[in-house]
This record gives sequence, C-alpha cells and structure tokens, in this order.
Amino acid sequence: MPEPDGGELGPLSSSPTPPPSYPLRHSLRSPLSPRVSLCWCRGNSLRVSLFSQPASEVEFGGEVVELKLNDGGDGEISNAQWRRIAYGSVSPFAMLQSRRNSFSSLSKINSSPYHLEWWEYVMEYSKDINSLLGNPKSSKNSLIEDPKTFVQKSEEPTCLKAAWELMEMFYADKLSQPWLPERLVDWLADYDSLFARAYGTVYSKLLNFQNELINLQVIEDDPRYWEVIASALAVGWLEIVVKLLRLHGSYQLDQLSNRETENGLVEAVAVLISKMPRMRPELEPRRLGECYKAKPDFIKAWEKWRGQINKLDCSAFWIQCHHVQTREGLRNLLQIMLGNMSSLSAATSHWLELYISHFLYVRPFTAGLESMYSLAQRCIQLKPMSNSHKLMGVMIGILGENTEVVLAESSKEFGPWMAAHAIELLTAGSDEAEALLREERYSLGEISLEELHRLVYAQVLSSHALSWQIAPVYLSSCLKQGMGLLEILLYRQPVPHKELLLKNLEICRLYELDDISSNIMKMAGVHHWKHGRKGSGVYWLQQAQDEFRLNKIAQLLFGSVGKSISDESFKQWEGLIELLHSESKAAGGLEFLLKYRDFKRLLQQIGDGKNDVAAQQAVESLMLLMKNPSTPQRFWLPLLNDSLKLLNWQDRPLLNVSQTNLLLNKLQELSIARLRPHFVKPDFPMEALNSVRLSLATNLGRAILEE
Amino acid sequence: MAVTQLPRPPEVYKLPQYKYVDAVRWLPPISALDRHAVLALFDSDGGSSTVEIHSLLNPNPDASSTAKSLTTLAAWTPPSRVSSLKTTNLGHRPFIAVSTVDGSVHVLAAQNAHSLVEMGAAPRVHAGPVSCIDLVEGGAECVSVGEDGRVNLVSLGDSGVSSFRFFDSNGLVSYSAARWASPNEFATGGLGFGLQWWDRRKPGGPVSQFKCNWTQGRASGIVHSIDIHPSRKHTCLAGGSSGTIFAWDLRWQQQPIILSGVVMGDGSKHSVSDSSEVWEVQYDRDVKSSNASNFSSSSRMLPVMMCSEDGILAVVEEDEEPVELLAEPCAINSFDIDKQNPSDVICSLEWESVAILTRP
Repeated sequence: MPEPDGGELGPLSSSPTPPPSYPLRHSLRSPLSPRVSLCWCRGNSLRVSLFSQPASEVEFGGEVVELKLNDGGDGEISNAQWRRIAYGSVSPFAMLQSRRNSFSSLSKINSSPYHLEWWEYVMEYSKDINSLLGNPKSSKNSLIEDPKTFVQKSEEPTCLKAAWELMEMFYADKLSQPWLPERLVDWLADYDSLFARAYGTVYSKLLNFQNELINLQVIEDDPRYWEVIASALAVGWLEIVVKLLRLHGSYQLDQLSNRETENGLVEAVAVLISKMPRMRPELEPRRLGECYKAKPDFIKAWEKWRGQINKLDCSAFWIQCHHVQTREGLRNLLQIMLGNMSSLSAATSHWLELYISHFLYVRPFTAGLESMYSLAQRCIQLKPMSNSHKLMGVMIGILGENTEVVLAESSKEFGPWMAAHAIELLTAGSDEAEALLREERYSLGEISLEELHRLVYAQVLSSHALSWQIAPVYLSSCLKQGMGLLEILLYRQPVPHKELLLKNLEICRLYELDDISSNIMKMAGVHHWKHGRKGSGVYWLQQAQDEFRLNKIAQLLFGSVGKSISDESFKQWEGLIELLHSESKAAGGLEFLLKYRDFKRLLQQIGDGKNDVAAQQAVESLMLLMKNPSTPQRFWLPLLNDSLKLLNWQDRPLLNVSQTNLLLNKLQELSIARLRPHFVKPDFPMEALNSVRLSLATNLGRAILEE
Repeated sequence: MAVTQLPRPPEVYKLPQYKYVDAVRWLPPISALDRHAVLALFDSDGGSSTVEIHSLLNPNPDASSTAKSLTTLAAWTPPSRVSSLKTTNLGHRPFIAVSTVDGSVHVLAAQNAHSLVEMGAAPRVHAGPVSCIDLVEGGAECVSVGEDGRVNLVSLGDSGVSSFRFFDSNGLVSYSAARWASPNEFATGGLGFGLQWWDRRKPGGPVSQFKCNWTQGRASGIVHSIDIHPSRKHTCLAGGSSGTIFAWDLRWQQQPIILSGVVMGDGSKHSVSDSSEVWEVQYDRDVKSSNASNFSSSSRMLPVMMCSEDGILAVVEEDEEPVELLAEPCAINSFDIDKQNPSDVICSLEWESVAILTRP
C-alpha cells in the first residue's frame, strides 16, 4: 500500500507462474499499426494491453496482461498485515472523530473540570492503534533464566511501531513530558535492533557477543566483554550490564579467595550501577535504578551518586587490583557514568545511542525541545549518518519541532495509512499544529493537509476489493470533498454481486444517500433484466420506485406473457407476479399483470358455471381491467374471449347496459385500430372476434329487457 | 436497539486469517478428541480460493489460558470462489458440499483430517453464481438454487456426482436460500421475502408458496437464509433484509410469526439489528434443560441465532429481548453452531478473520 517512490515503479512480484494473459478479439480493419496501452486497474495491478494485427485467421488481434506490482515498501509489512492494521484502525478512528464532535460542542458550553482533556482521548486512540502494530516487546527476563543469555531475541519490532510510539511520546502523551529523556531511553531499548542493518548497534554487538559466550573460557580476559558492558551501560541497559558483570570470573567460588579485591570492585560498580537515580515516575519490576518524580529530589540523589562514583574512582583499591582488563574495564565504566565524552562516544555506535547516553550521564536535567534539538545536532556531528534510515527523518522533524516535516516524512516512509492516522497525534496538544494542519490551503484546492491525507488514504483503501468498504469512514470525516468522492466510490462498485450490492446499499443508508441508493438499485435492476433475470430486475426497479423503467419493461413483458387462461405458460409467471404484490411499491405498467392474474383466478373459481357470486366478482374485475388505461390493447380481445362464459351467463345477464356498451365500444376501438399503421395484430382467430361481438350483442339485448 | 447482555458473556477468540473468509462450518467429528472446522478462504493477493480443514487447538493445555488457534490440515482448491458450504456426516465420514460463483457444485469427503478428496462435481449447473446449497441430513444429496431461477438436485452415487434440474423459472424468479425439511421436501427463499415449499415427488413447481403483503408498506426484502428444525418440519424459519427474522408455519399459511425486524400493525416487535441484512439464521441448539420443557409442548418458537451485516451475533426469542453474543465493527457473514457441542459457535467476520465463541 505505501506508494512507490516517485519516478520508479515497484518491483514485480516474483511469483513462480507468469501472469495470465487474455486474448483480445477485435475486428479492426488493416492496415493497423500495433499499439500498447497501459492503465492502472484495481489495487496494485497494471494492465498492459497490446493491439496488433492478427497474422492469420485463427490468431487473436491482441493480448491483455495484468501485472501485479508489489508495494513499494521494504516488505516490512505485507499487504495482508496492512489490511489487518487498516481494519483495526477503523473503530479507534471513528470513535475519536465522534468524540471530537461532541468535545468541541461541549467545550463551547462549559469547560467543566470533570471532563477529560482532549489529549487523554487521543492517548486512548493512540494506544488502540499501537496495539495493532505489533505485540508489546516481551520483557527481557523470561521465567527460566539462562545465566548466559542477556539479550532475549523477541519478535522483530517494526519501524512503523517505533515511529508511532515516537510521535505518541512527543505529541500526545502529556504526562510523560517531564520524563521525555527517560522515555527515549526506553524507546531505544525497544527499537535499537531496527538500526542494526543501517549503522551497527549496541544491540547487535551484544547479540554477537552472546553467541560467542559459550566459547569463552575466561570471560574477563576478552576485551570484547568490557566493550559490550560499556556499550550497554552507555545506552542505559543497566540490567544487562549488571548481569554481565556478575559473569565475571572473580565470582566463581574457587577464585573468590584469590581475587577478593577485584571481586569487591566489580561488585561495587555493579551496585553503583543498580542504584543509579532515574528521573521518572516508575520502573517496571526487575528493572534497575531508583526513581525520583520531583526534580529537586532527583538532583540531590544524582549529586550524591556522582559523589560515590568519584569516591570509588579515587579509591586506593584500584592499585591492589592486579587484573589489568578488569581494572581498565571498570574504570571505563566509571568514566561513562561520570559522563566522559570520549568514553561515551567510543561506547556507542550511532548518533541516537550517543544522544541517549548524553541524557543519561552528561545532561540528565535536559528539558525542553529546543535544547534537545541542539544536542541532537551535536551528536549527529560527532557521529554522522553514513546512510539514511526510515526513522531518522521523523526523529529529526520531531526534535526540530517542524510538524510539516514530520507529516511529510511519515507519509513518505510509512505510507498513507500513517499520515492519515498520525495527524491525530500531531494535533493533539498544540494549537499551532492544529491550525497548520487544519487550515484550508489554496494550493491544495481549498482543503486542509488533514483532509488531503485522509482522502489519499481513502483512495488507497478504495482501490482494493476487500478494503473499499472502510473508505467511507474516512471520506465522511472529510468535510470538503469527502462526500463527493464517497458518491463516486459507491457508484463504482459492481452491481451484479448480491452481497456487494447490499453492502453498497447499507453504506448509502448509513450516510443517508437516498438518491445514490435508488440509482444503484436502478442499475442493479437494469443489469439483472438485461441478463435474463427478470424477477431480480423487476424487484430492484420496484425497490428503486422506478416507474419509468417498469413501464418500459412491462411493454416488453406483455409480449411474452401467456394470454389465455388455458395457457400453461402463464403458470411460470406466477412467481414474478407474486413479487408485484406489495401495495406500497410502484409496479408501473406491471400492475396490470397482477390484476390480470386475479381475474384469471376468479374465472377459474367459477368453474362449472353455477357460482353466481364469483361470477359477479369476475365481471367487476373485468370492468376494472377494461377501464384501466394501463391495460394494453393487445389484451382486450383475449380478455373478452376469456369472459365469454360471463357474457353468456345462463341465469341472468351479468353485465348491465352501460357495462355492455363500454365493452362494445372497446371492441369498436379495436376494429378501428386495425386500420392504423403500427397496429400489432393479435394472434387470435377472427372467429373469436365474431363470437365476442355476438355474445356482447346478445347480452345487451338481455340487459335491456331486464331493465 | 434494546439488547440484553448475557449474565456471563461467552469467551471469544478472534483468529485473523489474512484471507477473506467466504464461508465457515464445523466439520462433523472425525475422531473422538479432535475438533475441526472447514473454512472457504479467498486470497485477494493471489486471487485464489481454497477450502481448508482446520484443527482447533489449545496451544497451552497446561496453562490457565484457553486461547485457541486454527491450524490448516488439508486443503482443496475449487475452480472459483466459494459461494456456499455445507457439511454432513455420512457413514461416519464427514462430507462437504461446496458451491461456487461459477455455478458448479462439488462434493468432497474427508477420509481423515489430513485428506480432502473431491468425490465429484456438477459443473455449471447454474448460469451465474450458486446462491445457496444444502446437504440433506445424513445423505449425499444436495439442493442448489441460484439467481438464474434454477433449482437443481445434485446427488453423489456409486458412479460419482449426478445432477438433475428439478425446476427452472428461466430467471422469472430468483432464489437465494434453500434448506431441506425431509429427504423429500425442501424450502427455498428469495426476493420479496418469498418462500417456496417443494416436494421432489411433485415436480413442476412449488407445492406451496408464501408471500403476502405483511410488510405493510415497509421496504420488502430478500431472504438470505432458511432453517428448519428436525422436530418441527412444518415451520420454516427465514432471515433476510431489514433485520427481519420470521417463521412461516405451513399449517397457518398467510400469517408469519415475526421474531425480529418488521413492525406489524401497532404491536412493535423487538428488533435485533436495525434495518441491516440478516445473513444467516439457525435454530439455537444450546437450549438449557430448564428451558427445554417450555418449548417441547407449546407452540412457542424455539430460540434462533442470527448474524448480521452490522456485526451482531445474537440469540432471538419470540416476544423477548434478543441476547447479544458478539458485536463487531464489521459484518458477520456466516456462523455455525457445533452440533456435538452446541455451546460453541464459529463465525466468519468480514475483516478476514474467524471468531470462535464458547458459551458458559
């Protein structure tokens, strides 16, 4: 889903089977110069069509190939994963939008202290989204501890999650603002492995060392042992440092007596490390350090701790320590803790690690983004980035307090999903950012950056058969152009598939788009009708209340409806006629079929010619049919012919004078109509006409006598 | 929407599949201990469909967590996307009937959980997609219906699969649901909330039709699913558009029993899902013994489970508030109640996942 970098196409998916090609038949006359046409079709498919001249009679005149293009991303997240994230983010997003609406209306009335602050809602949203991006990193300590494992290889974290957490930390989470440096320490601990390929990291150093640990006999003789301890300490992974220190040979029981001083020093350093004061509200269990919430307390503790380190550094015990590596290694650790720049620089791999070590040991009181930014620039100067990394642009944008850069970088590196969802974080606490992202821009066609990114994301969703149905949630949050695009999206969905059609209509109902819903039903009706599914066609046109088309198809239908009661084919129509039953729904000209069926039923009920009541009903039904202008002329004669039984009723004349006259007039009209040019000749024998005329005349005579 | 919550909510496990779940059913038991489900999946990236047997596992049987997972054991590739899926048990062997959007019907047999064998196919018995198939209980006979207006009987015999066109309305009527009532009778449903009753001994048309103007001016709709309880073969339960669930008693022809949805006259009915499509209905087999006596004698409707486009899975009873089991932000397209273990329900969610519910 992320868009490929400008100017270059994404790589072709390396599927073992070549994409299928479809023959293209055309009847274009030669001479024909070959042509190639390229266009995008659904999703990431590129359609290549080739028109050429058929070489022979049997050959087709062209070919169409659909090529599936991979997403332009680095493959960190597969398409299916992206869809899962897209599905999962619908609810949090919709919830936040509805909260925003009620929040803005509420805050206008009163600013009650009982209501949550806006950023708290955003935090809730952010936590929901974050949980979609991957599991929380399992804690570094498992239940059964292997003394030789200090780095747990957990599920590979993603840059996407790392970037999200970074933005959450800086923009949404107001509670953690005083502890930002410590939050960054934790963040790097979780995501340092992401930088391994680009820069080489403390994490990868530790991992390599852990793999070789089994082969090492005397661990403290190996310079790498001291190197990795220094690195881990520099980035604040105190648990790992202490654990590694306790692997020191002097702890072994058989050596304890010989190396008492040495062991004492190792232990002293380990204890000092584990007592490091941290400016943060709390630490997870099993994590080392002592927490201070208030700055004065922290400063006091910090100075005391630094004093202890200094004291140990000047201690006379170092001279008694005969193991050179241990002595040098431990003193280097002390230097790191004292904030010695060259030690820190040597211990860290890339600028972020150096940056973190600054927060921990050089400037633990850093506050404010301005100073954080200048520090970051100094660290980048000291350790320049050899190659770029996805997260760096976002990181520097955040520290530089440049919201537009952050948005542009996250959109470029992580795609439209990120841009559309991260805006909520960016605007969480800052009026400036809100104004910047919500301001309508002339250059964007009078829409805001926020709307732009939502529209782009909605377009990406719309292009996929499985995700198009969540696009309306995003489109409906776009005030300017959302509804217009939503209409286009709904019209674009294919109508033949029933489930899809019903989903489409459901979306219309949710957003109160009655006109569109009725148009879609008309499209469905016409589609089914054209494909011979007359029942479905009539149903959907009825649902759409499209009298015009119903009248049209009625004329087509009448041609094929069986005309006589004895006609067996009429039975087939029963099912369709049943559909027309509901009174509320417009049936158009088709209403006639319903009445015609009812009339036929009545005639059948009369049966042997004794049932007076039924006969009278049949007469009324006949009169209604003959009077109704929607009764097609071609049915007049069959109707009258079917009613011969009624006209020749034995006991008494069923039709009175005026009724008979009306029927006679209709018959006359029919005879005149024969002379007109467009007359459709009924496939009825002439005798029928004569016998109807005779019966009508007889009935007229009887009726006159009766009256 | 007034819905009561269960005193104890069911345990729900959501299992993402990363493929669209076209249909889902429990598979009749192959062995005493294992439990299996059949899933029809559509991979939108590759554009391919599969029918797969999954085994339902408890990954940590020792741990207190009862989290579940699905593992693919066997798979079969249909020629096109699956439109309907049914299972039955025939001679202690599970049979699966599959219909496709290309109008074909396939009969598969599971020799064991690891092999899924196609016993035969009836290609292109419908013009266009097959809307619905149903396998007769304990037999290898299938009824299939489609929008093209055909009613086909597909049966598995010694010489493979044979099909017979029982009726063809030539598109004048479209059918969207079908269900056997007995080895000879079945019901179908379609547009305008119409239901038809058929008897294979009386070909040439439906024996009885149900369609009356009971929607009272409200939008008419489509029947999406039918169920018939083995102990009450005269009642045909149907679910369809506008949150409608109704039952048609053959002995009492023109007046339906309405369980949900449409308002009748002045007496308003409980509606479980406002104007949304009810995709599937099944009689709830998980009736606790205390309630069972209420139903056995009286003419009261048995409880019904339903799933809907607006993401509700609920149990509906006549004249009572519906009990909601699951409320999802996406559609629940189908579900199946385990016949052996009726407190367990498996359902397919629109957002490429499957949910398994275990009721207390």
